[in-house]
Amino acid sequence: MAGPKLIKERVPTPEVPVEERVKSFVEVNLGYDFVSAVKEAERCLQCNPAPCIQGCPVHINIPGFIKALRENAESPEEAVKNALRIIWDDNTLPAITGRVCPQEEQCEAPCVMGKAGEPINIGKLERFVADYARKHGIEKELLKEFTSTENGVKGKVAVVGSGPAGLTCAGELAKMGYKVTIFEALHKPGGVLVYGIPEFRLPKEILDREIAKLKELGVEIKLDHIVGKTVTLEELLEEYDAVFIGTGAGTPKLLNIPGILLDRIYTANEFLTRINLMKAYKFPEYDEPISIGKKTIVIGAGNTAMDAARSALRMGSEVTIAYRRGREDMTARIEEIKHAEEEGVKFEFFLNPVEFIGDENGKVKAVKFEKMKPLGEKDSKGKRKIVGTGEYITLEADTVIIAIGLEPNRIISEEATALKTNPDGTLVVDENLMTSIPGVFAGGDAIRGEATVILAMGDGKKAAKAIDEYIQKKRLPA
Amino acid sequence: MGYKITKKENLSAIDFFMEVEAPHIAKSWKVGQFVVLIVDEKGERVPMSVYYADRENGRIGMFIRRHGVTTFKLWYEKKVGDEILSIAGPLGKPIEVKHYGNVVFAADAVCAQAEAYATLKAMKEASNYTIAIHSFENKANTYPEEYLAKPVADEFYITTEDGSVGRKGHYLDILKELIEQDKVDIVFAGGKLGSLKKLAELTRPYGIPTIVTVRQIMVDGTGMCGSCRVLYDGEIKFACRDGPMMDAHKIDWDDAIKRNARFAEQEKLAREIYLAKLREKGVI
Repeated sequence: MAGPKLIKERVPTPEVPVEERVKSFVEVNLGYDFVSAVKEAERCLQCNPAPCIQGCPVHINIPGFIKALRENAESPEEAVKNALRIIWDDNTLPAITGRVCPQEEQCEAPCVMGKAGEPINIGKLERFVADYARKHGIEKELLKEFTSTENGVKGKVAVVGSGPAGLTCAGELAKMGYKVTIFEALHKPGGVLVYGIPEFRLPKEILDREIAKLKELGVEIKLDHIVGKTVTLEELLEEYDAVFIGTGAGTPKLLNIPGILLDRIYTANEFLTRINLMKAYKFPEYDEPISIGKKTIVIGAGNTAMDAARSALRMGSEVTIAYRRGREDMTARIEEIKHAEEEGVKFEFFLNPVEFIGDENGKVKAVKFEKMKPLGEKDSKGKRKIVGTGEYITLEADTVIIAIGLEPNRIISEEATALKTNPDGTLVVDENLMTSIPGVFAGGDAIRGEATVILAMGDGKKAAKAIDEYIQKKRLPA
Repeated sequence: MGYKITKKENLSAIDFFMEVEAPHIAKSWKVGQFVVLIVDEKGERVPMSVYYADRENGRIGMFIRRHGVTTFKLWYEKKVGDEILSIAGPLGKPIEVKHYGNVVFAADAVCAQAEAYATLKAMKEASNYTIAIHSFENKANTYPEEYLAKPVADEFYITTEDGSVGRKGHYLDILKELIEQDKVDIVFAGGKLGSLKKLAELTRPYGIPTIVTVRQIMVDGTGMCGSCRVLYDGEIKFACRDGPMMDAHKIDWDDAIKRNARFAEQEKLAREIYLAKLREKGVI
């Protein structure tokens, strides 16, 4: 076969220069334009079977959309429309996943091109298709194809939470012809996409557009409604044919060590919510305050830790990430670690915090760590086990951000006691994502603990199918 | 979308009353729970105590102190008929309403003044003997009596620090007398954290249950940010989720008081900028 010549290197995507981006919250990666996207698409070998599809948690037809993109190079609009149609079959939020998925662990990991050189930049291509379609009105056109003409006819579904799981489930059900109402506790929809992920990684106008898309599909969003408080699960079941719980993992884990109540020790959730949701980085133009010093230590090394570190940096602080394990154990996306390093975030490994030390005003001034060392064996999560060395080190810090993980919020399960939970607060579900209460489904971090946006979306989609089957079966005459 | 302001009245030199349309909260609010409101697009999320929930008309009433930018905006910019951006709730855990015997509600700041009426009303309906103590600094800060818990109180006291209205002193003084007369089975209280700390020490030796509003700085109010964490019986608890009314004897008050002043500097700055704007416009 006279296949295409192998191009080992990726077509690069431009990024905002470091010196500029550390002073603002603008998006760092600028993405492809059409010409460079097609060039990158042309590197794809069109494998069959395609390992990338297997690597994608929602099994997007990746070679399919890449082919559509490069096949119509003379007509960008046609090319993008065809590509987007293929993506939307499996993923309705590509502008978001293109930006926040850990592609290097998913679709790009098994890419055959990766063996010869660099894998296809699937994430950036996905993002390009979504961004170009939005900018050129293609998305709106395509939306008509996907809009059900029988909105509300098939039944009514309540979706709890408007994060990635809830948005996806709502969108899928609306496309099938259900009347969907989303209940959101906060004053803005988006869940972790709005309070957790910063502007420089996911511009909020992209999220706003996705929300608008859902509304065009007929989805209603009730803000300021805390299910379990404002309205109970039982009340929802009286009014709706089924309920989907996509309440995520919003409860921060805290270190129960001396000094945890000192001032300027934040959970990553508090720090990021103040900045992202409440725009505290624009204080006093915006009313929500934030207080940050000159030396920040972020504890943890996941995506949330990187987001917090890079936000603190943009607010004028020196930032060090302190992690109890080693460099190769960090769980953040490679791109986020790379960006953090480029921007000047320092990294300290094998340090486990044991005490926060305060000044006479009750503000944190230092963190005492025990030095750790790795053992040969791995734990249940595949990470190297670590042990303390008995040696201690104290690092100065006038701001500390704790980013050591999150658990599901228990508001619903505490109120609806029939809802079975695991000890970590995750909801128990069956293979169809149905909880212990018939007609109540759940997905995303609410059942997984802390996972990814794309897995949450995959659950939302799977649950939508299961909900459809459940409702249609219930409606069959006996 | 927004929530319409349906009533607004001045209460004193520092506090005012406001009612908003919030049917989603009015139908589900229970005594002890709070709400979080946002005045406008640039506003912060501010926790508020509830004075009443009017289920029938879908409205909730609040007492508010003119203290920071949000509350200044509510007082100086928002008129009856205007809307606020957001109000969410009810949040936190309700208190247990049952027969205790002699129930005291003591208040010395705006949040607790709001809670006194509804709490004692519920307690009276549960066949308790109810005692209300409203403490103010002076006459100018004292509310008109119709906003206080008098109609639902079997015994009713007002105190001021200077004696200009009611008894001279503070709710702590009255409580001490009542305790000495063996008239107190349980105390509910709220307001200034410094007073609550003293209250905890007053009732502790007598073993009188003391349930108080642990007012802390919050963002979401649903247990998501951990801003309102307090040390409770040696464990970390969130005032928004595990409270806001908690056992005063188990709270580490010194830390709670310190944490409540975390943004004092920023609040002062924002307040000054806002007041300067009002002065420029000739509003004040």
